[in-house]
Formats: sequence, structure tokens, C-alpha cells
Amino acid sequence: MVSFCGRLEMNFPLSLSDITLWLAVMAIILLITSELISSTEHSGNIVIEKTRLRIVALALGTGFMITVIMRIFQPF
Amino acid sequence: MPPEKSRKEQEKTERGSESDQLMTTQYLIKALKQLQVENEKLRFELRKLKQAPSGKLGIFLIVPGVLALIFSVITESQVLAFIGLGLTFWGALFFFIKPVKYVKSELLDSTAIASYSTIDRIIKDLKYKGTSYYIPPYPKEVYLPEYLKGLKDMIVFISADSSSNMPSIEEMAKSKFLLKNPKGICVAPPGSGLLFQLEKGLRTDLTKLNLESLCEALPKVVVEDLQVAKEMEINAEKNQVYVKIYDSTYQELYDRKKNLKSVHLLGCPLISAIACAIAKTTGKIVTIYKDAVSPDNRTIEAWYRFVEG
Repeated sequence: MVSFCGRLEMNFPLSLSDITLWLAVMAIILLITSELISSTEHSGNIVIEKTRLRIVALALGTGFMITVIMRIFQPF
Repeated sequence: MPPEKSRKEQEKTERGSESDQLMTTQYLIKALKQLQVENEKLRFELRKLKQAPSGKLGIFLIVPGVLALIFSVITESQVLAFIGLGLTFWGALFFFIKPVKYVKSELLDSTAIASYSTIDRIIKDLKYKGTSYYIPPYPKEVYLPEYLKGLKDMIVFISADSSSNMPSIEEMAKSKFLLKNPKGICVAPPGSGLLFQLEKGLRTDLTKLNLESLCEALPKVVVEDLQVAKEMEINAEKNQVYVKIYDSTYQELYDRKKNLKSVHLLGCPLISAIACAIAKTTGKIVTIYKDAVSPDNRTIEAWYRFVEG
């Protein structure tokens, strides 16, 4: 954490490949959830808007694709 | 008849009527108790819905998430970073997917009943026995002089008798309610609001669509986007269009106890909106010439026909 010059250095501990993996997993979870849940019926206390959930899932999927493209131009 | 015998009979009938009254009172008390229990259940459900804590849950997830992210940067810990990222993301998600204001579907029925009973009263008072004709409006982009602006609104003409004479353009343009030649009334269709939502869901002006593409696109908008019915089937035949709707939000309007005649004449808001959509797409006058409702009101069928104006 402390460099040679005595300056405090703080780095985000996740690499691009970690974020890519996280985005892919999240996108899949959300897409499956948005397909399975029904917005008309509520289970328990939480009411969820299905269309917005799907938008988020697609946004994460797009994010994943962007990171993949980034890795094509800037490999490991 | 001897007086003793008649007295006995009188006492018997009195006793009978008393027991009848007792039975009715007991039945009413039982029904009242049942209704009170149902009322309590509904109140509890409403309270549960009002307390939908997606916002609170969002805060509950975001705060530890952000803290975990900060600590992950300080300690350079991957595990903490993943936990922080996940918690922050789900917290933000709970804020984003918070539902827009939902109302109970029964409220839709109760707000629509008043206008149907008003139309019922008007028709009964004027002794009209005709049918309803959905007259298509002029397309939005068509220029019309000020005195003809009334033609841009969708209207339903309820004729006084079964003759299919249509009102003249001048009379329609004046946006009159009572028409003299031919005799009838012009009202705004009950599904005009829903028609606007259908157009919004279809993302196009209905005048630019043809009947086939409308039949393809409409069930998806009704069932998935607007969610006013669970299933919908629409078939265009030669001179008629058949629609079958299952589990409509407006099914209670067809309840036999309510005895609304105008629901069968004009259709429920959904049936009316479909009539408006067909009229607008084809540019022809449409009439609901037949409808059928299942005994439990869950399936509604309607047959639309085109009328030469």
C-alpha cells in the first residue's frame, strides 16, 4: 500500500477480467430472474417491475460485451 | 270456521313468520361476519402492499456495499471488492426496480361503472334500441379547417333503431351529443383512454398499420405490456373480426347482478379500445354485433363487423 516514496497508493483490487466475469454472471442471473418472475403477482413483501429488471440485465450484458471488446484490443 | 281453529292457525302462521325472521337474521349475521373477515383479510393485504420495502432494502444493501468497496481499496482485498460490488449493485437495483404506482384491478371496474350506468340511463330514457357504431377519426396529420376539428376525435354513434344510417360529416364535426337525422346519440368510446395506451405500446399511429399486423401486435401489448388480460386471441375474417379475451381486468362489468346493458352495446373498455383500434386501422365503421361471456365472466368473446358508411 505504501510506495517507495512514502506516498499512499490505493488500487482497486479487481482486474478487467474479474469485472468481465462479474458482469456476465450478474447479467445471466438478472435475465433468468426477469423471465421467471411475474410482475403482476407479488411474493412476500417485494413488488418488482419486470421491464426495468430486464433493462438492467440487458445493460449488464452490454457492459460485458464492451469489456470483451476492450480485451480484444488490449489483450492480457 | 270455528274461532278456536282460526286462532290456532293464526298462531301457527305467526310462529312460522317469527322463525323465518329468526332464520333470516341468523343468516344475515353469518354473512356479515364472513364479510368482516374478508374485509380484514383485504385490509391486511393492502397494508402489506403499502409497506413494500424495496426502498428500505436498497439502503440496507447500499450502505454496507459502499463501505465494503472502500475497505477493499484500502486493504486491496478482492473478496471485499466482490462483496462490495454485489451489495452496491443490488442496493441500486432495488431502488431502480421500485414499482410505479399500482392500483388494485377492482378499482378500474368501480370507476368505469358510473359512466356505463349513465349511458344505460340515457338509452333507457330515450327508448333507444339500436346498435353502436365506432366511427374512425381523421388521421392526425391531415389538415382540417377549424369547423371540422371535431372529426379528429373517435366517437361512437348509438342509433335509436336498428337502421344503419350514419350521421352526416357536418353533424359529427359539430361534436353534437343528440343527433336528429338519423336519430341517435354520439358519445366518446369507453376505451378511448385505453386506445391511447395501446398506441403507446405499439409505438406507432394505428392509421399506419394494416389489420393483419394489428392482429399480430395487439395481443402482446394487451397481455404483456398493459397486462389488462391474461390471454387474448384475435382473428380477422372476411368482413368480421373475432376477439376472445381470457381473464380481463374489466370482467366484473359483465356481472349479471350489475345488469349493465351498455357494456354489451359498447363493450367493456378493453373491447371498446379494440373496436376503436380496428376502426382506426381500417378506416371503416365498426360495430360490435355480438358478444358472449362465460358464466364466471372470465372469458369474453366479441364479434366486430364492418359497416359501409
